[in-house]
Amino acid sequence: MWNAIVLFVVLIFAVPADALDGTDLLKQIDRNLNPESFEMYRKLINIEPDGRKKEFTLFSVKKGLDKIAALFLEPASEKGRSTLRLGDNMWLYIPAVGKPIRITSLQSVIGGVFNNSDILQLDYAAEYDVVNVDDSGSEYLLFLKAKTRTVAYDQLKIRADKNQKLPTEIECLTEAGMLIKTLYFKQVKDFGGGIVRPSYVETDSPLYKGYKSVMIFGKIKKRDFRDEVFTLTFMPNIDSLR
Amino acid sequence: MKPDRLCESWIWSLILVLWFSAALVLPLGLRAEETYTFDFSETEKKPYHFSGYLEARPVHFRADTDSALYKLRFYNRDEGNTLQEFNSKLQLEGSYEKDIIRLYFKTNTDYKHSYLGGDEQSTFYEAYGSIQPSYSFKIDAGKRNFKWGKGYAWNPAGFIDRPKDPEEPEIGVEGYIALSADYIRSFSGPLKTISFMPVLLPVSKHINESFGKRDYLNPAGKIYFLFFDTDIDLIFLAGGSKTTRWGADFSRNITTNWEIHGEFGWIKDYQRTFIDRFGKSDTDEYNAFSYLIGMRYLTARDTTFIFEYYHNDTGFMEDELRDYFDFINDGYQVYLDTGNVEALQTAAVLTEKNYGGNNPMRDYLYLRIIQKEPFDILYFNPAVTTILNLHDRSFTLAPEIVYTRITNLELRLKTSIIVGSDDTEYGEKPNDYRLELRAGYYF
Repeated sequence: MWNAIVLFVVLIFAVPADALDGTDLLKQIDRNLNPESFEMYRKLINIEPDGRKKEFTLFSVKKGLDKIAALFLEPASEKGRSTLRLGDNMWLYIPAVGKPIRITSLQSVIGGVFNNSDILQLDYAAEYDVVNVDDSGSEYLLFLKAKTRTVAYDQLKIRADKNQKLPTEIECLTEAGMLIKTLYFKQVKDFGGGIVRPSYVETDSPLYKGYKSVMIFGKIKKRDFRDEVFTLTFMPNIDSLR
Repeated sequence: MKPDRLCESWIWSLILVLWFSAALVLPLGLRAEETYTFDFSETEKKPYHFSGYLEARPVHFRADTDSALYKLRFYNRDEGNTLQEFNSKLQLEGSYEKDIIRLYFKTNTDYKHSYLGGDEQSTFYEAYGSIQPSYSFKIDAGKRNFKWGKGYAWNPAGFIDRPKDPEEPEIGVEGYIALSADYIRSFSGPLKTISFMPVLLPVSKHINESFGKRDYLNPAGKIYFLFFDTDIDLIFLAGGSKTTRWGADFSRNITTNWEIHGEFGWIKDYQRTFIDRFGKSDTDEYNAFSYLIGMRYLTARDTTFIFEYYHNDTGFMEDELRDYFDFINDGYQVYLDTGNVEALQTAAVLTEKNYGGNNPMRDYLYLRIIQKEPFDILYFNPAVTTILNLHDRSFTLAPEIVYTRITNLELRLKTSIIVGSDDTEYGEKPNDYRLELRAGYYF
């Protein structure tokens, strides 16, 4: 009887201890990927099965856990478009339309495998709880569950390098466990200012057989912004931050 | 075949050849590129920027020769059952920035070649200067668009914007000359943002003449809140060029794939002029309350539904529009019998001033369904749009396909089918359907 009680007590305390470690690990992975507030230049490339591609260049700014905005610099057809995310709220500003419209995280403003939540990615720890962590030699395997139903992917499986505490592969799954896409993190690079992270993220999806999309990170720099930058009214002016 | 028609046929053929060449041949050239690189010079910011948009849009109409508006337009011409039209557009955009100052302009040139011959119109859509002393404060002076309201197809609270075409709501329109400011504050908590935009809009003989009565300085304003994850705007227009107006709108996401929005505009002492079937003009005056409710929904199969219901309290009643069509039909009969065009000329003026606007009646439904990249065909987006007049049950149905595979080139093929019986809004349009091809290139 006493053994059962002791085992029960140990299990109760063992689960939060694991979860706490996992949460800390996820926060470290987040911080290793990006500073909490930063500016960044990225190129997104959609590649078709026959090798044809379409490229987009973005300037992004992020502040804290839940504020991120991105401005399209290229190609000319997208230039001046900007996207803003405040927590679960997302907007798209198209200069010709002249006002921000609400968009959803599952849509894609560029087409292809990356959707809006991939382009306006917040900290993983802000959107997910760590359900379990497996230690498999040279890497960790983290199982994440979305905190709310408003998050684009219900579950994530993150493979992370044990030494660098950086992701190498992330599987994005539905609530039923169906694979939506896989992100592959490659080419770790020193961006300066203590930021060392993968500079190349590739993704493919069973929903888009033969297609893939690539995100190449150019510059990442720590920078603080006023909250007013992350507002609908400021969306047409994001270029003034460059 | 008339020489003009022969010329138009050649233009059509040429456009079709270019369209398919662009879709098929150009990508072959791109296949040679294989490497994925990031040239950082692309990100270098220059103090100036210059860009543009060039569009070719041939249109083929099937005329409805029995309709009132066909009779009004073609009573003294024989253009047959089909009409062709060639449209082109050039927009140039530029800016210059130094410290806190920014200058910006956008021009628009439209060229149309139709049965009436060639016609070109050029104007500045926007041309203004900005001073931004801080991220939370900005002043703009010059010609610009405001785009107030959350509605997609209509904006009953867009008090200081020119009306947009609900069949092409994303196409830019000309702005007004105004002095405006933006002040933004952000907070933590349920109220995340407040911003205030005061506007002064002058109207005189040479400035904003089409806005309303001359020699007034019209104050307007918009206060925006992001409150409990809901966008809320409170809007007003005071002054003498138009009667006082108040409005509000909201928008919020119910789930990650479902957005709802609404908007209303209240106009004090709105004056509406209409005619009876004999052409006798009458005016009534009342406080008009127009509103709109809508949603945007995305399914798991990447189908987007945009739906709106619009009540236009400034619009005409069904019998009033029927009187207008009867007046045209009677005028046409008088012309056939006597050659007298007086009634038709009066009707033409009324059409331009009162009845000829987009959706002149009271209650409408708008539905647009867009399927993103079906059959895994990237950058291929078919859509269908319908606008239904709830009073007379006439409607337009417009299927389209958009193809944007080639960088900076957008190709669209669109048909608009018009359905309606006699004396209905769409039934009396001058054509039964139209087919148009739009090739737009950004540079």
